[in-house]
Amino acid sequence: MSEHEPLLDPIDPQRRKVMGAIVGVINLGLIGAIVGPVVGFAASPMKSKMKETWVELMDEHLIAPGEIKEVNFSMRVVDGYHEVERKYTVFLCRTEEGVLCLDPACTHLGCRVEYQSDRRRFICPCHGGVFDEEGRVKSGPPPKPMDRHPVKIEGGKIWISREV
Amino acid sequence: MSKRPTYEPHESPSLTPEVRVDLPREASEQERLHLDRPAFRDWLELRVGWYGFVRKNLDEPMPPGVGWWQTLGNLLLTLLMFQFVTGIALAMFYSASPETAHASVKHITFNVTLGSFVRGLHVWGSTLIVVVMVMHTLRVFFWGSYKKPRELTWVVGVLIFQVILGFSFTGYLLPWDQKAYWATVVGTRIAATVPFVGDSLLLLVRGGPEVGALTLTRFYAAHVMLLPAALMGLVAIHLYLVRRHHIAGPVLPQRGRPVPFYPNQLFKDAVVLLVGVGMLIYMAIGFPPALEGIADPTGTDFSPRPEWYFLGLYELLKIMPAGYEMLATVVIPGLISIGMLFLPWLDRSDSRHPARRQWIITSGMAVILLIGLMTLKGILETPPPHEVPGEKEEVVAAK
Repeated sequence: MSEHEPLLDPIDPQRRKVMGAIVGVINLGLIGAIVGPVVGFAASPMKSKMKETWVELMDEHLIAPGEIKEVNFSMRVVDGYHEVERKYTVFLCRTEEGVLCLDPACTHLGCRVEYQSDRRRFICPCHGGVFDEEGRVKSGPPPKPMDRHPVKIEGGKIWISREV
Repeated sequence: MSKRPTYEPHESPSLTPEVRVDLPREASEQERLHLDRPAFRDWLELRVGWYGFVRKNLDEPMPPGVGWWQTLGNLLLTLLMFQFVTGIALAMFYSASPETAHASVKHITFNVTLGSFVRGLHVWGSTLIVVVMVMHTLRVFFWGSYKKPRELTWVVGVLIFQVILGFSFTGYLLPWDQKAYWATVVGTRIAATVPFVGDSLLLLVRGGPEVGALTLTRFYAAHVMLLPAALMGLVAIHLYLVRRHHIAGPVLPQRGRPVPFYPNQLFKDAVVLLVGVGMLIYMAIGFPPALEGIADPTGTDFSPRPEWYFLGLYELLKIMPAGYEMLATVVIPGLISIGMLFLPWLDRSDSRHPARRQWIITSGMAVILLIGLMTLKGILETPPPHEVPGEKEEVVAAK
């Protein structure tokens, strides 16, 4: 701009360098002051832990040997800022070993599997994963068998433990 | 008495004088700027250099051969503005919590005046943006316009591409219906396939172990705050760089002198905007946006499927054998993204002509073909509700 006076040369190049470095350090501090707390805040769910909770599902005699039952139930869980009643589903299956409780989430990418009784298979509608009645992978992309939840029978009732 | 500021007219690019924008004569301009009650444009000129700005933008030189293909960037920018404005309107009625999100979107769609239309513009806009963005990217790729000195224009463009996909992914959850919920359950599980840090990453993305209230607030914050801020910054840099280096002409320079942006190219832009926005409005009215039932983790009447432009990835996941899903979730998309980002440095040929860039064109075509075929497969294989794929072969993988 034509109106501006010519710029004054800095008094001492060394002083200019030192002051530049201090400004740099202050700027780094400012960035740290905003990024640090915000990242810590936003990433706090990474520390969240699940805890096992037992829940009563049904009478033991309601499931016959070899039968597979889809059971819906709800549990009170803490969902972020509030406590809610959340619905869940599991498959109960009585085998020679006892009662098995299979989680319906496909171990591939978490879609919900369906039980086809005529084929006696659990099928994932997303990417075609197929599991047998005990949750073992029969075909498709799932990398591991269906997750099992611990089961106990007390007073003729089936209880399962679920991490929430 | 304050000194009167002197006015220095801006240099306009060397263009043919007959097509220059009609601006006031130099002699009277000075006087007009300092009138007691100047015209608004003169008032603005003294303070922000208005004429220079107008001149620079309207006189932007267009090399001969530039035409309809170069209108896509402007269409993309316009569609993004539509998203921005309709997004603000939707946010006035939307409520980001699992208890209220679905009801608020239902209210917007069925009760609010013009609600279905505004939501339709936003929903169809997101699809149209992906289509136009892909066309714009392909044009730049085949024309070799990313070459020196426009490497960073391309890199910023690729970042914009990724931010827009981020918008799609985060926006998809917000209606909190079955489609939204299950696509997000599956989509976020992809994070868990990253080696070593997958589980922590899943918690970070979901805001907890399950898709819930904090996933919704997290996605909402990203969709309406983080991504728009990133997009605005990137678009500003992209436009600055496009203006700085001007538009790359056709692959083989054509005869003739550059002509100004206004009126020929601006007219073409306006026609394309008319068609593009017309199509958007037609779709918003003709195909109102759907809303499935509220998200239900126990519901079995729904086959989760992502938005059509993620179907390629979805199909790729289907064909990956057990234990190799990371290839489809991290490795292949990661390599494509890195390949796109570093394209200007991968392609070392001097020429922009496709015939002289054989390996890069071949690789690009292979990727486009792969994504195209997988997407097509996904679209064709859309199962009707309740139908699930059959068992293919008995491979016992369980221990």
